[in-house]
Amino acid sequence: MNDKGIRKNIEKIILKKKFENVAVKVENKVVYLTGKVNSYDAFLDLGLRIGKKKNVEGVVNNLEYPNKERKEKKKGSASKIGKADVVIVGGGVIGSSIARELSKYKLRVILVEKASDVACGTTKANNAMVHTGIGENMGTLKQKLCVKGQQMFEKISDELNVPYKQNGMWIITTKDSLAKMKLPSFISDFIAKRIIPMIVLRRGKKLGITMNLTKRRELLKREPNITKKVLAGIYSPTYGITCPYLFTIALAENAMENGVEVMLNTEVVDIVTKESKVESVVTTKGIIDANFVINAAGLYTDEIAGMAGAREYTIHPKKGATLIFDKKANEYINHSMSMLRFPRTKHYKGGGAMTTIDGNIQWGPTISETPDKEDTTVTTEDIEKMFESYSPLLEDFPEKLVITYFSGLRACTFTEDFIIKSSKKIKGFVHAAGIQSPGLTAAPAIAEMTISLLKNEGLKLEAKNNFDPYNKKKIVTRDLSNEEKKKLIEKNPQYGEIVCRCEQVTKGEVVDAIHSKIPALSIDAIKRRTRAGMGRCQGGFCLPNIVKILAQETDIPIEKILKNEGGSDLFIGRAKCLLEDKYDEN
Amino acid sequence: MMKTDVTVIGGGPAGLAAALKAAEKADVMLLERNKELGGILPQCIHDGFGNFIFKKMLTGPEYAQHYIDKIKKSNIKVKTETTVLEIDTNKNIIATNSIDGIMEIQAESIILAMGCRERTRSQILVPGTRPAGIYTAGTAQRLINIDGVMPGEKIVILGSGDVGLIMARRFTLEGAKVEGVYEIMPRPSGLTRNVVQCLDDYGIPLHLSHTVTSIKGKKRVEGVTVTKVDESMKPVKETEMFIPCDCLILAVGLIPENELSKQINIIMDERTKGATVNERMETSVPGIFACGNVVHVYDLVDDVTITAEIAGKNAAQYVKEKPETTEEIQVVAGDNIGYVVPQIINNRDLDSVTLYFRVQREKKDASIVVLDGKKQVFEKKERIVKPPEMIKITLSKKTLTALTKNELRIDVRCRK
Repeated sequence: MNDKGIRKNIEKIILKKKFENVAVKVENKVVYLTGKVNSYDAFLDLGLRIGKKKNVEGVVNNLEYPNKERKEKKKGSASKIGKADVVIVGGGVIGSSIARELSKYKLRVILVEKASDVACGTTKANNAMVHTGIGENMGTLKQKLCVKGQQMFEKISDELNVPYKQNGMWIITTKDSLAKMKLPSFISDFIAKRIIPMIVLRRGKKLGITMNLTKRRELLKREPNITKKVLAGIYSPTYGITCPYLFTIALAENAMENGVEVMLNTEVVDIVTKESKVESVVTTKGIIDANFVINAAGLYTDEIAGMAGAREYTIHPKKGATLIFDKKANEYINHSMSMLRFPRTKHYKGGGAMTTIDGNIQWGPTISETPDKEDTTVTTEDIEKMFESYSPLLEDFPEKLVITYFSGLRACTFTEDFIIKSSKKIKGFVHAAGIQSPGLTAAPAIAEMTISLLKNEGLKLEAKNNFDPYNKKKIVTRDLSNEEKKKLIEKNPQYGEIVCRCEQVTKGEVVDAIHSKIPALSIDAIKRRTRAGMGRCQGGFCLPNIVKILAQETDIPIEKILKNEGGSDLFIGRAKCLLEDKYDEN
Repeated sequence: MMKTDVTVIGGGPAGLAAALKAAEKADVMLLERNKELGGILPQCIHDGFGNFIFKKMLTGPEYAQHYIDKIKKSNIKVKTETTVLEIDTNKNIIATNSIDGIMEIQAESIILAMGCRERTRSQILVPGTRPAGIYTAGTAQRLINIDGVMPGEKIVILGSGDVGLIMARRFTLEGAKVEGVYEIMPRPSGLTRNVVQCLDDYGIPLHLSHTVTSIKGKKRVEGVTVTKVDESMKPVKETEMFIPCDCLILAVGLIPENELSKQINIIMDERTKGATVNERMETSVPGIFACGNVVHVYDLVDDVTITAEIAGKNAAQYVKEKPETTEEIQVVAGDNIGYVVPQIINNRDLDSVTLYFRVQREKKDASIVVLDGKKQVFEKKERIVKPPEMIKITLSKKTLTALTKNELRIDVRCRK
């Protein structure tokens, strides 16, 4: 179907759904919407309806709605940083994977990240599952890259010396799986017990994913705390778990070891093009001349693309909230478990009770739309939804052992699939956008695909012969035997001093994080690398210790230490600072 | 491998007193994870400590110093900045520090004195964002009084636990503005004397039956939404009110820190969240004793010291001669009683036994009675009893020897 045909179809939708002030343009199978709707819901509704249409490759939804937030354009710096072969925008798992992949070639690559650390956006708040691809729709790019990415995950994790474990997952059906369909129970039970598992297994076979059907009795034996309402379980042994931020930090650090420059606290404000070709990237730190730009800016990919005149999709964030439980709750499940429910609603995307690489159980994630790209609130409704969705999975689960909860935002497009392609409008501009689940799993495959796109765009790739794929193993004392600890402390006594008692993190590990390749200069950056503050007291005891070590090891005065980004000061000043002000006034 | 008679884990008020008492009769090693001894006391720079033992009002550091000085003069081996990683029922301890590395300590007897930790925002499921400026009251106290930094200038305090009340006053004295203390219960959870001295005296409002229902702020706290709750403690949406502030302090309870105790499967009391102990402060594992806030959260440090001395004395005694358990009297929390410590009496042949407990509901003109089967063996009248105020009663030798049943029940009744 050509653009004209697509447009006709869409005009029909607009007419039928009575959107009065909406205009449509279609170019290269990308739909551009302008005009006005009366709510964000209507903005979403129309975007999603169009995104579902066959042949539509992208929806740029520029519709106005009440209270739409306007962004002030940031000013760039006019200073010249120099020339790079490739600029990667965004230091999440996608940008960092691409950076590492590009570091295999003789190129000058600069990765720019607006935050003070990598893995600070969508990457850090996902549920860490390395999916098999069974949950994705057949034929989508998501599914293809997920299956491929999963096959690559173990090797990369080994090379980077980051934890990865194929801990398996139960996909279960229960008496409630079809509750919403209001069928007689003997019918719905039959479907849940026989039909659904059969479909899932058949799909797995097609994709080459190992899965075993397990009968109710056997399942209850292997997972005694699972709900007695369970009807069938499919065990998927290759389901993996990783640590999304450690993985991303390791990717970025390995890329740096191999020559990639990572510029933190650097925001892209403009992308200059000439004759529809990328020329340079303007940042808050200066201008980088480059003919190739990779847009891996997550939630902001649409805005970055817009700067280059290559807006071919709009991002609508979907929030996902997760609950984390104390390690004491671990014994309740041996493997992650997800319950199938039909029909799928827009508020239930699966999720479940998951094991994590660190040994905490987590529930989630939820799914809900939000217009705000920074809205990481966990609302009362989110919390209620999690208890409602996941509590029925496990009997007598110690729900009081919640130690924290958080939200992340998925960078969804209206077509709902990944958009990994070269811009049809601007030469040298490559999109790695629309990355939602299973983006973490797919990251290695996305990186490979991006490189081949760059090659097609005309980037010369000459392999380095000194690429070193390996990262040195970081010291984690809690994983060592007492003998190993003894030897280590003899060499460096700081590994004998525990500063975070819940997670047993030593001073040595905190110091290592502060002085690592990407220095951890905030409390959260240290937390992500060491787990200090991630335990049951949530930093109540270790915060003062970490603050002191950070001040000692850097030139940051204690009262200026940040939780994460600029403006997140932990303190307002030294003690007595408020009294001084008062004396001044008198 | 190091060997000691008694190893005390924790150098707070309980550990100090227990170590000193045990050292009168045995070799003692004291392990403390902080740099300084005294536990939480060094940061408690307000007065109100020691009224019972020293008959005068001391500050936290003064109270602690009294015991620290004695420790220094004793031959107790003290190891600070030392964290215990593992213990087992054979009383082997593995600890770590930067000087000795990984230490293996073989003790004849262990005294658990790890104290407690604060409940966090997550444990009470406060929704909202996760900006800088959210602290538990004890952490804020440490930050101001020890580390010398100010957590905020416009403060909202959630929960009216004692540390929260004390911090309301402390913030005010530091020039910050405390917008109010919000308590979900219809009554304050801290001591009355603290409500009067820390809030009333400084004109800080206490809002009962209120809670924080959302935290706002991307980088730092920008404000919180407070909401009134109904009788079933559910927030009433219509009463939501936004309060701009840059700091939220949580004083929502303390939990005994028993991660080590759980390694050796000590029998725990679900109500106190601490180990079940007998009159010697001995846990269900013979030779392992517990004292202080790791057993149950006390109101007054004086009581911590007194019970810790009992643990210290008996731990040293245990090293000399393992006592035979002759009987087991269960101490039962009866009408209107939350819990009682000790939970078990194994030996009645004592000069006295003091029982500590809290009531569940406030009652005026109350009568505390102790029943041996159906027979009343003790009565004490109180003008008023309240859940935040711990009650203690002491049973005399005469009462103890007259007991006949293996269950001792405490009831709080109304006299009218």
